Parts: sequence; structure tokens; C-alpha cells
Amino acid sequence: MKPLDHTTLARVMGPVQQANGLPNGFYTDPEIFEAERKAVFEKTWSCIGFAHDVPGPGDAVPIDFLGKPLLMLRDREGSVRVFENVCRHRGMKLVDAPTRIKGVIRCPYHSWCYGLDGSLRATPHVGGVGQNTDPSVDRDLLGLFEVRSTEWMGIMFVNLSGDAPEFKEHAGPMIERWAEFDGKPLFHGGPGSSFSLTVNTNWKLAVENYCESYHLPWVHPGLNSYSKLEDHYNIVEEGAYSGQGTTVYNPQLDPSGHKFPDFEGLSDKWETAAEYVALYPNVLLGVHRDHTFAIHLDPVGVGTTVERVELFYTAEGVAGEDWASLRDKNAAAWREVFEEDIFVVEGMQQGRHSRSFDGGRFSPAMDEATHCFHKWIAERFAEA
Amino acid sequence: MDQQGMVTKTADLNLEILLSHAIGDADALVALYRQAGHRAEGAGRTDEACFFFTQAYVYALEAGDAGRANALKATLISYGREQ
Repeated sequence: MKPLDHTTLARVMGPVQQANGLPNGFYTDPEIFEAERKAVFEKTWSCIGFAHDVPGPGDAVPIDFLGKPLLMLRDREGSVRVFENVCRHRGMKLVDAPTRIKGVIRCPYHSWCYGLDGSLRATPHVGGVGQNTDPSVDRDLLGLFEVRSTEWMGIMFVNLSGDAPEFKEHAGPMIERWAEFDGKPLFHGGPGSSFSLTVNTNWKLAVENYCESYHLPWVHPGLNSYSKLEDHYNIVEEGAYSGQGTTVYNPQLDPSGHKFPDFEGLSDKWETAAEYVALYPNVLLGVHRDHTFAIHLDPVGVGTTVERVELFYTAEGVAGEDWASLRDKNAAAWREVFEEDIFVVEGMQQGRHSRSFDGGRFSPAMDEATHCFHKWIAERFAEA
Repeated sequence: MDQQGMVTKTADLNLEILLSHAIGDADALVALYRQAGHRAEGAGRTDEACFFFTQAYVYALEAGDAGRANALKATLISYGREQ
């Protein structure tokens, strides 16, 4: 089977009752992984990290995003910006470790210097010894290449191709669905509210597993004991996102019965509801009345994914020492859930090396969200 | 060094510069390169002076030392070496 022919893609994009899942090559073939980088990650809005990675002005982190060297920094005005991490002179990588830039970014090779706005500020000896200008080197034309970026819910997204629709259009249906949370201040819980899992799976399997509740009774019996399968509903927005919701959410309590403060102004729905949605391509989100989380799926290889989990709360005070114990309890609970998923996504990755598996058959009742994601991927390839 | 903290011999100045590079002391590099620049300037060696002023300028920029960076930039502009 040729995984990229239009017949194959059409089979994925058909109605869920007849559709096949994406073929094995989408999970195992380095050539398709490379094609996916362009068709999926570069052409749309992809998550590369979190705004709190650069908390203060001048903070900068290098990011390897699918082999592309990027530099995320917070400028003097407090905005997070993303540049290509490369000097305009000889292509040297500028920053190789997280740092706080006091003044300018100095290239370690010939010391061309850039401001935090990307402007080229100095070109030492470019016109000869002690001569720092040259008619052929126009600093105004040689600033750092800026990457289109935006922040939403504490998450940093980039559009490498530069021609995707505006983020607010790309994520519009998602923003609209969670309008009650949009714009509310989020406070990261600190180091204990952050953890990463390196998983031997293709990133898409992490999305697929996250999207559906079908597996809960089997893989997460503890979770299912209070939020049962029948309490869940599918969330499907063609071309944008998919996931699952529950009508039963019980906040974490400390030994005294205290719980985290809720977001202000939520409707009654969120008294008991929680929703878990994959915003395509590579961010998994969860919202509850008292906290949110985001998982950045970093596709570091065709069969390797780093899942970076970050938990956010509703008030600055919750990030303080008084709440540390409950924050840790909450982080541990989520970690347990996400670790329970590892054998599944790794098992599916191993299964994708089968000679005969054809992408599989969906349950129309239970796998609608997964099919929605497969269809979105197939559409990206069909358009490429 | 003399009483103003200036390195008095050229050889010592070179050594101080090397040591400051080795430990990444940008503040010292600004001061030492600027001193080397003034020494060359005093001897009428303009290209050499502007080399050292440029070195000092870059490290002042990197350190976010606006005061010294601006002064060094003005010096370089006065020699037609900076824009």
C-alpha cells in the first residue's frame, strides 16, 4: 500500500462508519514523518513550549523544533517573541542553552550583536580591523528572522510557513467553546506542576489516545471509578479539534477538605464538568473549574515523543507555599493517569509495524474524535 | 596596576584580557579593552585603538552596560568606524 496516494487518504477521510485509520507509514516511515513536518507542523500553528519558560525580560531558550533551530525570548516590553536561532552572517547558532540576556544577543562566532527585537545592532570589524560598517552590510536588512508566534492559555504557538490563517481563526472554534476560560489569568503552579514523559510512540498516537474515553474503564480503572464511561461525551469539531468531556469532575481536596479556588464567573456547567481536547496538531488541553493543564507533544522522532505536562491554577496565591501540598497531589494524580497511558501508546506504536494492519476500524459511537483527527491529518496531506 | 586600577604594562594588560576572557568577565573586558584603546590612541595608532574600542563596545552591549556602550559608540563614530 502506498500510504500517500489519494485513494488511501480518501479512505481515511470517508464517513467514520466506512473509514480506515491512517496507514502504518504515518507512524513508522521517516519519509512520511519528514513530509508531515512540512504539511502539518510548518503549515499550521504548532506548540513549541510555554510562555513561562521565559518568565522575565531577557530570558531566552533555544528550541529544536523538528530540527529547526528556534529562539524564544521575552523582550524588554514583556512580549514573548520567537526568532530563528541563527546569525545572519555565517549561519552560526546564536544561543545554545537557556540564558538571561542582559543586553544584546552576541553571536559567539564573530560577535554580530542583535537586540531582543531582532534588530542587528553591531557588526564588529565587518569593514576591516576597527571598522564596524561596510556599504554592503545593511543592518536594517539583516535582523534576525522572526517566526510568526502567539500565546494562548500560556502556550506558545508558531506558524513556520508564515501563511496560515490567523491563530484566532485557526483556534477560533476552540476559543469559542471555552470562551468562559478565555482571557482569564492563569498561574503556573511552579516546578512541581511540570513534568515530562518520553514515550516510544509517534506523537499522533498520543493525540488519538487522549481524544477518546473508550479506553477509560480498561486503562484507567481508578479514574473510571468516579467518572464513569457513561458520564463522558465526545467532542468533535471538524477541521479544528476533538476530544472528550465528562459531566462528573470532583476537585482535589487536602486533608482539611480545602480545594483550589475556582475560576470566577463560570457557568453552572463547570460545577461538575471537565473537558479534554486536542487542539491540532500537538497540544492536549484540559479544563476544570479550578485548574487547567496543557500537554505539549514534541515529536522528536517518528517513534519518539516527549510529552511535557504543565498545570495552571486560577490565582497567583495558589502558586505559593500554602498550596504546595495540594498542587503536588494534583500533579501526582495527573502523572499517574498519563503514565497509565504509556503502555497503550507504545503498544500501538509497536503494532503499527504489522505487515497487515490497515489503519484499523473505528467504532462510530466511541472513536468519532479519533477519526476527526485522522481526517484532519489526511486533509493536510491531501492539500500539500 | 597603578592607583586608579589601570594596568600599567602592555604585557600585563594582554594577560589581564586573556584571563578575563577565560572567566567570561564581561565587565572587566570592557574596561581592559577600553584602556588598551586609549593607550593605542595616545600613541597615534588609530586602527589599533578602534579595534580595542570595538571589542570594548561589543562586550558593553552584551552586558547591557548602556553608559559605557554609548560612550564607546560615540568614540567609534567620531573616528568614522560606527554608524
